[in-house]
Amino acid sequence: MDRRNFVKLVGTASGGAVTGACGKKSEQIIPLLVSEEEIEPGVEQWHPSICGDCGAGCGTTARVMAAEREIEVDGERFRQQVAAIKKLEGNPADPVSGGRLCARGHAALQSLYNPDRLRGPMKRVGERGEGRFEPISWERALEEVSESLARSAASDPGKILYLTRPQASSRSATVARFLESLGAPPARSVGTGDFAAEIEASRRAFGWAGIPVYEIQDSTLVLSIGADFLGGWVSPVLYSRRYGHMRQGRSELRGRLIHAESRFSLTAWNANRWLPVWPGQELALALGIGHVLVSEHASPSVAEASEEVLATFESVDLLQVSEASGISIEAMRETAAALAQATAPVVVAGASMVRENSADALTAACALNVLLGRVGEPGGVMPPAASGTGLEDARPAAQGWEARLAEAEIVFVDGVNPAYNAPSAGTALTEAGTVVSFSPFVDDTAAYADLILPDHDALEKGRALVPDVSPVPAVSAVESFVSPLYDTRSTEDVLVAVAEAIGKPIEAMDPASVLGGLHQQMGSAATEQAAFVREQLRQGGWRGERRGSQGAGQTALGSFREAGKRGGLQFQAYASVQFGEGAGANRPWLQEMPDPGSSAMWGTAVEVDPGTAAVLGVTNGSMVRVESASGSLEAPVYVHPAAIPGVVSMALGQGHANYGRYASGRGANPMAVVGDSREAATGAIVHGPVEVTLAMSESRGRLIQLSRQDRDEAPHRV
Amino acid sequence: MAEQAEQRDPRSEQRVPQWAMAIDLDRCTGCEACVVACASENNVPTAGEEEAARGRAKHWIRVDRYYEGEFPDIRVKFRPVLCQQCDSAPCEPVCPVYATYQNAEGLNVQVYNRCIGTRYCAANCPYTVRFFNWFTPEWAEPLGLQLNPDVSVRPGGVAEKCTFCAQRIKRAKLDAAEEERELADGDVQPACVSSCPAEAMVFGDMGDGDSKVSKAIASGRSGQLLADLGTRPRVFYLEKAD
Repeated sequence: MDRRNFVKLVGTASGGAVTGACGKKSEQIIPLLVSEEEIEPGVEQWHPSICGDCGAGCGTTARVMAAEREIEVDGERFRQQVAAIKKLEGNPADPVSGGRLCARGHAALQSLYNPDRLRGPMKRVGERGEGRFEPISWERALEEVSESLARSAASDPGKILYLTRPQASSRSATVARFLESLGAPPARSVGTGDFAAEIEASRRAFGWAGIPVYEIQDSTLVLSIGADFLGGWVSPVLYSRRYGHMRQGRSELRGRLIHAESRFSLTAWNANRWLPVWPGQELALALGIGHVLVSEHASPSVAEASEEVLATFESVDLLQVSEASGISIEAMRETAAALAQATAPVVVAGASMVRENSADALTAACALNVLLGRVGEPGGVMPPAASGTGLEDARPAAQGWEARLAEAEIVFVDGVNPAYNAPSAGTALTEAGTVVSFSPFVDDTAAYADLILPDHDALEKGRALVPDVSPVPAVSAVESFVSPLYDTRSTEDVLVAVAEAIGKPIEAMDPASVLGGLHQQMGSAATEQAAFVREQLRQGGWRGERRGSQGAGQTALGSFREAGKRGGLQFQAYASVQFGEGAGANRPWLQEMPDPGSSAMWGTAVEVDPGTAAVLGVTNGSMVRVESASGSLEAPVYVHPAAIPGVVSMALGQGHANYGRYASGRGANPMAVVGDSREAATGAIVHGPVEVTLAMSESRGRLIQLSRQDRDEAPHRV
Repeated sequence: MAEQAEQRDPRSEQRVPQWAMAIDLDRCTGCEACVVACASENNVPTAGEEEAARGRAKHWIRVDRYYEGEFPDIRVKFRPVLCQQCDSAPCEPVCPVYATYQNAEGLNVQVYNRCIGTRYCAANCPYTVRFFNWFTPEWAEPLGLQLNPDVSVRPGGVAEKCTFCAQRIKRAKLDAAEEERELADGDVQPACVSSCPAEAMVFGDMGDGDSKVSKAIASGRSGQLLADLGTRPRVFYLEKAD
């Protein structure tokens, strides 16, 4: 290699290379005794990008600057100049982020620059699950995958399994083409973060396809049942923006929030009233409130409700649902009265913690909006904004993937980590045929793979996707603007190459083709297609017009599956603000970000109520053993002042067997105790509750808190 | 509330902005997006598990939370706490080498290469928002690529704290100068402010009565943290409405 040529700027794909770092606004040698404010800022470019951390798909902008890194080629070390992403912010033109970003969104940078990223393709050398690999060339790796795939396609394409994220994107469209060409079944979600219960409830209660959009910013009273919309549910940035507006964005009008959840989540923090519903009894609570609305608050909208809706609520025994949910009849009456009296109420139905009957519970909660006449009304609940691309039509379902996993001849794992989120998947992965992972890391699931073909980081790729929830029809679409750091390959390109090798060629769907299709479909004669595509890519995607009000379609609630109230200590897992369903754990910024409730860093605690803690004789940091019929874990206690007596909660995030230096072997995975159960209608992974026993443990561990003080002994004098 | 005498640049005769921040606690959700946004913008090093356990984690901005009452009638009071950029800053007079001082725009400036690491400033700060670098920070390759070249990486032995994103103020001024215009309200957005999903934070010139921050300060819900200490902070909190 020519050394002089090697030291070059890795150019940006659009907008020209970042050059002139020593130009006008340049890095200068900082003279002694100069304060920070006098440092000259460097040259920067901002490129539209898309956050890939959760399905919200926030439009972002990435700050790109010149940087230098050391690389090794053939044993020699070189300094290579690169165009490096330095900072992520929200894209102000994006209808979801509106220019804002959450903690996890910022920390996406530490996925890109994570020291544990794979530098190239790997082949397993140890036992499955052990996590021992050796490098392999791309050519050889693709040959091996192609050979396995050709065999499966020829013998039984039904035994090809593709596990992926439930996102509607250019990637999912490419995957669909790939599987179709093979005659294989559609891709499957592993049932985590897919909001399947929300989608199912939306279909039953409103006749809509997709996740409803709640116009909380224009409402006067929000009742949230199970939706921690300020924490991590569906689209936290969008709903935080809307929440801010609801509180202080309107002159003379401040909206109120009542939040029902079995945990004192971020949304409960901010509520005017928290209804601490017993875990798994969200359905009972929704039925109780609906019953009061129907029987005690005659209104035109109640009168207009269908017989089925009325019958669902009329037959409810208020005493029974009150006892089951732990919410008094009085509190239900007060909530129903507040809803009936509010000028613009809305009921947000969500399953931040998925239960076995979540689809039913959410259907009942959605139906409260029907009773209140809030469907399609300003400040009420709106239908999902179809993007017009059709990308969202093929959201992968979760049902039955575990059974197919054990029998599969070849399994592709793309962007999901079932061995972490569904503990029994590890056993099935041991028995499955060839396992191919596209993970950029050796994570819990990739540790079982025969081959790891690492994808580029999301920030290194051009992509188009439809956000899970958007106020207007929208497609986020960006081109790549920095070169990949390592010898990774875009999974879309790998699928195209493999399909080609086995004689079943496909074309990848790229952002330009998604936008081109959209242009064609809109029949827009005003602009030429290429110019349209260019302009949308420059802005980070296409956004349509806000649609008008739209009422419900067919309502068919169906029958509900009530969960019997269980006694004893109940344990539940939840997706945290820092780590989501677990993927954030390998980012040091998020590990050191104090947990909002417990202030814990570098670990997650078992949250126990003060009464239970006193009986056990444990205090903050005491180690406990939590045991259920499914399994056990040991972790430090946090005596949570707001935990429901008898309810034990723990955040997802830690307890990774494999996930790099910051996450591997740290803490415990609550799913080991929750076990593997599924939401009845959708196959979504259930987060509890399960009955557990707690006992003090002799094992070593600690609770590191930024603030050990839960109570303000010297109240702030503001 | 602090009264600001109008200051003018002796050379240009232009009015010197008086930077201040207002945080609306009725909008703030406690999500900590600001915490990570700040670490990303300002090269705030991660302490790691062992050092964090020794109380050495650095958060230029944090969210204090205190529970009040007992279940089920329990509430949580919380607020983001960052350097309050006090007009009468307790950290300043105790520094033996003048490494920290208040500049004409009201920022409590920290000159890293003047600091000799006595930690008196941190000891004297009632808000506990000053941090000491016990070690020179290191980033596992290639995490160093995340570093913002506009912000110094502070070496071991030096105190550090929130700067109100002085580098962003500088950039906004240069951009305005290039465009031959004066700084406009909203041109400067510290990383925490631009990140805040609930749009709870407002930053601007409190010397300009028409600025958003001035209006927020005058909203009637505004107060300062530990105001009775006489520190005259430039961070104003708009209390919750209930």
